Amino acid sequence: MTTVSQELLEELKRNGADYFASVPCKLLGELIDLLDQDQTIAYTPVAKEEEGLGVCAGAYLGGKTPVMVMQNTGLGTIVTSLFSLGLFYNLPITMIISHRGTPGEKIGTQVPMSNATKPILDVLGIPYFAFSNPADVQKVGRLVSHAQVAQKPVAALLDFDFWGKGGINNQ
Amino acid sequence: MSYRRYELLKDIAPIMVGNALIIANIGFPSQELYNIQDSPQNFYMLGSMGLSSSIGLGLAQSLASKNDPQTVIAIDGDGSVLMNLGTLATIGNYGPSNFILLLVDNGAYGSTGDQPTHTAGKTDLAGMARAAGIESVHVTQDDEAKIALEQCMKTLGPHVIVAKVAPGSPQLKPIPMDPGYIRDRFRQVVSG
Repeated sequence: MTTVSQELLEELKRNGADYFASVPCKLLGELIDLLDQDQTIAYTPVAKEEEGLGVCAGAYLGGKTPVMVMQNTGLGTIVTSLFSLGLFYNLPITMIISHRGTPGEKIGTQVPMSNATKPILDVLGIPYFAFSNPADVQKVGRLVSHAQVAQKPVAALLDFDFWGKGGINNQ
Repeated sequence: MSYRRYELLKDIAPIMVGNALIIANIGFPSQELYNIQDSPQNFYMLGSMGLSSSIGLGLAQSLASKNDPQTVIAIDGDGSVLMNLGTLATIGNYGPSNFILLLVDNGAYGSTGDQPTHTAGKTDLAGMARAAGIESVHVTQDDEAKIALEQCMKTLGPHVIVAKVAPGSPQLKPIPMDPGYIRDRFRQVVSG
């Protein structure tokens, strides 16, 4: 039996993703382990989300199809660069974002940024799609193709239920 | 006359432009390089201060993963790399051999009026790069950077050159190019 992280990685790759950057989140732990072990892709764990946007931009310039794996809290640190790099140059970067502060969250400080996540993406004008069901993993993967069509960054917001962790103790 | 980034770029353009893919930092560095020698192999950053090193890293990794032998030179500055120091650690651990980071260190935020950066004080960028895990780190003064760059282009990296120069810039006009045009002509020349 495969896990949602395994299926997600396969779907992202099936849609052409071949370069990944990541900043950790507990919800993303298994996916990040898989990225680290996958010899068929290029993968870089970065120190901060804005740096991740930079390496993804460079990867696209180099002919790759980049995916940024990050937590929604990092969105607040990359707004300027999403405007002046990702959107200004029309770079198709798929952002796989774990949506902390949604039901299942145990840490109260995650909630304010959780509430602000969609409004920030609205202000940016970045197309985003929220998923709560692991059965939607194929739809998430298709966002890699959609970013190419849209010619701009696109985002998936993946909450606790998507990761099958809506009911257990997580950090 | 003092030896500034403009004089440095004029000295190294003949060995760099057309022989490597160049990521040029936001503001005066891009304007100066465009003025000295434009090329489809130059990518001009019009925004996102701090990300020149990271864009260069991602580009170099992409080429390395395809066994593409092209060299990538990211031209970054002291003020901008201080905004994104974590990327030195990423380069120290994941930087490919085809990557050269040219840190033009003039101790000033040049595009905003030459306010001093911390490298004009106690901060040592070369020491930070070494401590981040980058083994090939070179410090040059004025025109010494040309020889260092030539050597780095012939050997396996990742390399960092901290090129110390005087602050100040000539008056130049903004680059008259659409970002989509900069992107597309660069991507076309990268893919051959």
